[in-house]
Amino acid sequence: MITKSKLLHIIYNCIDELNLQNEPDKQLLKTEETVIFGKASPLDSLGLVNLIVALEDAVNDELNIEIILADERAMSMESSPFKTVSTLADYILLLLQENGNG
Amino acid sequence: MPIDFLINVFEENKDKIAIIWKNESYSYEWLLTRLKYWDKKLNDMHVNVGDVVALIGDFTPDCITMLLSLINRSSIIVPLNSTSKMDYTEKLNISQTEKVVSVDEINEISFEQLNIKANHPFYTELRSINAPGLVLYTSGTSGSPKGAVHNFLKLLNKFKTHRKALKTVNFLMFDHWGGLNTMFHTISNGGTVLGTKDRSPDSICAFIEKHKIELLPASPTFLNLLIISGAYLRYDLSSLQLITYGTEPMPEFILKKLKNKFPTVKLQQTYGLIELGVLRSKSKSDDSLWVKVGGEGFETRVVDEILQIKADSAMLGYLNASSPFTNDGWFITGDQVEIDGEYIKILGRKSELINVGGEKVYPQEVENIILEMDNIKDVTVYGEKNAITGNIVCARVTLKQPEDKKNLASRLKKHCIGKMKGYMIPVKILIVEEMQYNERFKKIRNN
Repeated sequence: MITKSKLLHIIYNCIDELNLQNEPDKQLLKTEETVIFGKASPLDSLGLVNLIVALEDAVNDELNIEIILADERAMSMESSPFKTVSTLADYILLLLQENGNG
Repeated sequence: MPIDFLINVFEENKDKIAIIWKNESYSYEWLLTRLKYWDKKLNDMHVNVGDVVALIGDFTPDCITMLLSLINRSSIIVPLNSTSKMDYTEKLNISQTEKVVSVDEINEISFEQLNIKANHPFYTELRSINAPGLVLYTSGTSGSPKGAVHNFLKLLNKFKTHRKALKTVNFLMFDHWGGLNTMFHTISNGGTVLGTKDRSPDSICAFIEKHKIELLPASPTFLNLLIISGAYLRYDLSSLQLITYGTEPMPEFILKKLKNKFPTVKLQQTYGLIELGVLRSKSKSDDSLWVKVGGEGFETRVVDEILQIKADSAMLGYLNASSPFTNDGWFITGDQVEIDGEYIKILGRKSELINVGGEKVYPQEVENIILEMDNIKDVTVYGEKNAITGNIVCARVTLKQPEDKKNLASRLKKHCIGKMKGYMIPVKILIVEEMQYNERFKKIRNN
C-alpha cells in the first residue's frame, strides 16, 4: 500500500535535488501547501518540467512503477494537478490506484 | 528614402502614442524627433551605407528608432536580443559585423567599432543597389546558426498596404522576424507598440489587463502555460479579440483548451519563416489546425509532403550555408504537411532540431559541452515530446567507468549551468552501453 506520506517523501527528495540546481531565490519549500506552478511559485516552465521528469524517475526507481505525469490528461484537468505539492501527491496516488498499485 | 512611407504615417499620427515601454508613452512626434537625432549621431559615428551593424536591444523606444535610422541610411542590420548574450560572438563572426550598437533597457547607448571589413557577396549585392539589409539567424543542423541575408526593402513592402492595427503586445522577440513583423505592422498603421521584458504568464496577463490589449501573438507553449498557471483567471482579459499562435506546431489539445477558456476570442494560426517573412494566413476555424497560407507575393506547393514556398520577399541566401532554394526559386521549408483542398496542416519539422517552448536547441551544441566532462565517452542529445514545453532535451550518455545515475545527472546539469541557456540543459539523462551512431557514422538522434 502506497500512502500519500510516502509520495510526499519522494516529492521532497526531488525538491531537494532541484533546489541544488536552482538559484537561492528560486528554492521550493518542502511543505504540502507549496505552490509548484502558479503565481506564487519560483518555478518557471523549465523548472516545472525538471521537477516532473525527476519525479517520474523517482517513482520508477523507488516503487518500480512507470507513470507519466505531464500528459494531455494532466494538462486538460479543470484543476491543475501541478498547483501544489499536495495536489501533485494526490494526482500520483490517483494514477497508481488506476494502475492497481494504490 | 527607404522608410519614407513610415515617416508619412508618423506625420499623420503625430499626437498618437507610438510606443509604451516601462509605463512611459512615446508619441509619433517623439519618434520623428528621435529619428533626426539618431541620424546626426550615426553621422558622427561614421555609420555609412552598406555598413554591417549589429543592433543589440529590445523593443525599447531608442532601439526601435535606432533600427529605423539604420534602415534609412541603408545599413545592413543584425538585430540581436539583449537577453541572449551567450550567442553574440558566433553571430557577430558569421555576419562579419563591423559595428556594434547596444541599447539597454534604460536607453543607454554604446557603440563599438570592430576590426573587420565585411565582404560577403550578398553584402556586395545589397551595396550595389543601395538597399538596406537585414541578417536574421535561423536554426542549422550543422550546429551553428545560419545567417539569412535579406533585402530589407522587400520585407517592408507589404507594410505599405494599410490594415487595422489592433493593440498588440510585442511578445515575440526583437531578433526574430515574428517580433519585428508585429512591430512594423503596428507602426505602419499608427498603432501602439507595447513591449515588455518580462514574459511570464502572470506579467503578460497583467500587461494585457492594464493596456487593454486586443491581440496576443504567442507560441503554443506559452498559451499552454497561460492556462495551467491559472494566470488567465487572475486578470481581466476581456479586451482580447485575437490570439495568434506560431513558431512551433500547435498540439490539438492546447487549441481545444484555448477555445474553451476564451470562447469569444478569435484564434488564428500564423506561419512565417526567417528566410521568407510572414505569410498571410487564415485558420479554417478557431479550433482547427487546418490553415490557408499565402497572400500577395507568396506561392505555395507541396512536394513529397514538404511545403515549398516561392516568395517575393525571400532572402538572398545564407551567409554560411548553401542555398536552400530549388533551381526554380522555391524554398524548401522542411515542414511536413497534410493537404485538404486549399488548406494545409503542419505536422512538424523534418529535422533534428529540438523545439523547447519555441526556443530552438541544436543537439550538437549541447553535446559538445557535455563532452567536456570527465568520464563521458559519448553522448547523443535528442528531443522527447512533453506536454508542457512541447519537447524536452534528453541526453543519452555512454560512460568510460560505471557511475551512479543520480550522481551523473547532477554532475551533468551543474556542468551545463552557465555554459548554455536554461532550456538547452538536458532534463532527462540516460546511461547506455552501446555506441550511438549508424553504419555511416552518423548520430542516431531519435529516441
